[in-house]
Amino acid sequence: MNSLASYKGRITDILSGKRPSVDTDAAIESVDYVVLDTELTGLNPRKDSIVSIGAVRMKGGRIDLGNIFYRLINPSSVMKHKSIVIHGITPSEVAEKPPIEGVMSEFIDFCREDVIVGHFISLDLDFINREVKRINGAPLKNQVVDTCNIHEWIRFNDGDFSRHYGGLAEELNLFSLAKKYRIPFSNAHNAINDAFVTAQLFQRFLSFLPRFGVKTLKDLLQIGKP
Amino acid sequence: MVVAYLCPVMIIEDVIEFLKKVPPFQSLDNAELKSIVEGISIEFYPKGLTILHQGGPASEYLRIIKKGGVKVFIKSSDEEEVVIDYRSEGDSFGFLSLVSGGRSRANVVAVEDTIAYLINKKTIASLLDVNPAFTEFFLKSFLNKYIDKTYKEMHNKSLLYGGGDKLLFTTPVGELATKDVVTASQDITIKEAAEIMSEKRISSLVLVDSEGIPAGIVTDRDLRDKSVSKGRDIKDKVNSIMSVSLIKAEAREYCFEALLKMIRYNIHHLIVVDEGRLKGMITNHDLMMLQGTSPISIAREIESQQTIEGLAPAAMKINTIIGILLKEGARASNITRIITEINDRLARKILEIAERNYGSPPVDYCWIAFGSEGRKEQTFKTDQDNAIIYANPASEKDDAEARKYFAEFTRFVRDALVTCGFPLCPADFMASNARWCQSLDVWKEYFSKWINNPTPEAILRSLIFFDFRPIHGNLKLAEDLRSYLEHHLKNQNIFFARMAGVITKNRPPLGFFKSFIVLKSGEHKDTLNLKLRGIGPIVDIARLFALERGVHVTSTLERIKALKAKHPVISELGAEIEQAFEFITLLRVHHQIEQIEKSVPPDNFINPGKLSNLEKKSLKESFQLILKVQDAIVEIYRAGMVNQ
Repeated sequence: MNSLASYKGRITDILSGKRPSVDTDAAIESVDYVVLDTELTGLNPRKDSIVSIGAVRMKGGRIDLGNIFYRLINPSSVMKHKSIVIHGITPSEVAEKPPIEGVMSEFIDFCREDVIVGHFISLDLDFINREVKRINGAPLKNQVVDTCNIHEWIRFNDGDFSRHYGGLAEELNLFSLAKKYRIPFSNAHNAINDAFVTAQLFQRFLSFLPRFGVKTLKDLLQIGKP
Repeated sequence: MVVAYLCPVMIIEDVIEFLKKVPPFQSLDNAELKSIVEGISIEFYPKGLTILHQGGPASEYLRIIKKGGVKVFIKSSDEEEVVIDYRSEGDSFGFLSLVSGGRSRANVVAVEDTIAYLINKKTIASLLDVNPAFTEFFLKSFLNKYIDKTYKEMHNKSLLYGGGDKLLFTTPVGELATKDVVTASQDITIKEAAEIMSEKRISSLVLVDSEGIPAGIVTDRDLRDKSVSKGRDIKDKVNSIMSVSLIKAEAREYCFEALLKMIRYNIHHLIVVDEGRLKGMITNHDLMMLQGTSPISIAREIESQQTIEGLAPAAMKINTIIGILLKEGARASNITRIITEINDRLARKILEIAERNYGSPPVDYCWIAFGSEGRKEQTFKTDQDNAIIYANPASEKDDAEARKYFAEFTRFVRDALVTCGFPLCPADFMASNARWCQSLDVWKEYFSKWINNPTPEAILRSLIFFDFRPIHGNLKLAEDLRSYLEHHLKNQNIFFARMAGVITKNRPPLGFFKSFIVLKSGEHKDTLNLKLRGIGPIVDIARLFALERGVHVTSTLERIKALKAKHPVISELGAEIEQAFEFITLLRVHHQIEQIEKSVPPDNFINPGKLSNLEKKSLKESFQLILKVQDAIVEIYRAGMVNQ
């Protein structure tokens, strides 16, 4: 009876567009996360589009190299010169790649019900959800946290942590933070490398957060919501 | 779900490149590495985090350090911390409990922020199966460290007085194997096997073929898992459920190898065979009970000698014993204790022979040792440091008689000690020097003079003589002198301040940027004197506090132990000081045994540039600790030191 009731509850949730039934009381070390990054042709969701998606799965604080997702996409819009300089992907490289629909449904499968993590994640999600909506009629329902917001929260809430890593970060972009937290990164910025750097940043946070009272997923969602 | 990705992904390639530089992974080809890396996960450990707990759950992964470093240590039953190793980039940890499935054998703590690559158990198991180089590398690099340090240190605590067991590395398995192993024919039924096992109250039964050669083993677990729970007919033959992959040890194999097998296969007993035939069974416990017997045999040999000529060769064997003890990973304090014990016996034997030669002495006497011998901290043959306290004579005439007797007596003992390998003391601190062969009252006078008038020379004398320890004769005389000294030292603040001033001038050779300061020229260029600049300061610190707080014992480690409850500096730093002392002493003994093996006379000059990273790190930390304590001493005695 019980399981049937909860099953029905879940269907209702899904139909009503609620978040998937991830246990928000779970310890943050035991939650599965998908850390993602995208490369875009530009920053305008109306005109630009996704060039590549990179994501790594984390089981708690453990980054799983056997579970990574990296696809280049044939963009629907013309790539802009400026962004080519940043990510180094040229139009001819992506021209051969599959169109976004196939990649997106694979990506939706990859995400499962895991908590999505990213740095300034809102921008990536805007682009991703535009595509997901086109395919599924609704955006991704996963829980989302933003590493930038987690960092800000820690910075304002605990002096010890900042001291451990030598004062306050002045810049909030991914690479300034990576430098601050002594995470090695290369200059080859593509979606998977950057997702990997983000995952390591998030990994550092996970190792410290329980000490600051952030223990459950509920706590994490609260401080990290985009 | 299948997750594919396009073109080489750099984050994977980076790990492959990393592993190419890490033994034993460097022996694998690209395809093999790639398949390993695709199963790798990555963890981060903030500095100070305990990654594995001793006695905690087995490790499920081999962890290879990508960045940072960890300390591997065990806690002994008396809460003593024994550092097994520091591991840094490219090193791994968690292997032993991973393969054995047993509890984690050590604590592993991140000493820096650390990133590790995790390879799961299954991957490691398959690598071990197909790759002999792999097996050898891991078993050697992990087991040797543990067996050398853990087993030896934990179970050989009383090497000399131990239970007379045999050495792990030299005892063939056959010697330890229990002989009466219960066997049965492999043709009996499951029921019959179970009956034999319950009748004999055993948990496993070895099954043999018609030739008496072991064919398999059936255990309680087999009866449960393969028979009862599967509903198998108990009239089936037992060989249908027995384990045929018998893990055996050859009777002539050394116990060390048997232990490796037990750990490798996570079993606690091994069948011992000789030429294929069952010889017995050996258990984990049998191996744990192993202890070194060699020091005992030397001690016995000394006891049985009646002449100095007979003693000399026995005395010379001590160096060999130290070599063996070192290779077995005995800790430095155990080694020095054993040497002291043997040297004490040697001295007593010589004194007994002297008493026989010269007749019993006219008055009671006590033979005392001081310096390193007094502190029970001798390593290789060190200079003689000894004296005689004789009972206060009743008259001038008695005194003259005693002097005459002891003059010849002490010369004989001195020469006998030289014959046995103890060189003369260059400063002539020997009983054969009439100055150091005196009645109890004269000794008391000496001591009170040094204390009341602490000239630099008096302080130097105190540093040497106040470590005296009775070796032979009427020990009461030495005890009297000790209580006199203790009583007389009370509230002698000026004396202690002077002593503090002298000892804090000997700073460990560590430069401003934590680099070692070495000798710039001469015979010992590029080296530092480990005894003078490393061990000396710790000995001095322990002595100062011990004399001040009325601690009777003379060995540095015993002094520190006693002071933990008596002196705030030691209660705070005592454990670290003990470790530093152990470490520097071990370094010194290792250095000396290497010289002896090369037929070079042992000295105390080590070249820090030739130490391993772990050794350098530990030595620097030890020096820093000494500096810290010396600074504390300067602070404590500041007022008294001003007037010097």
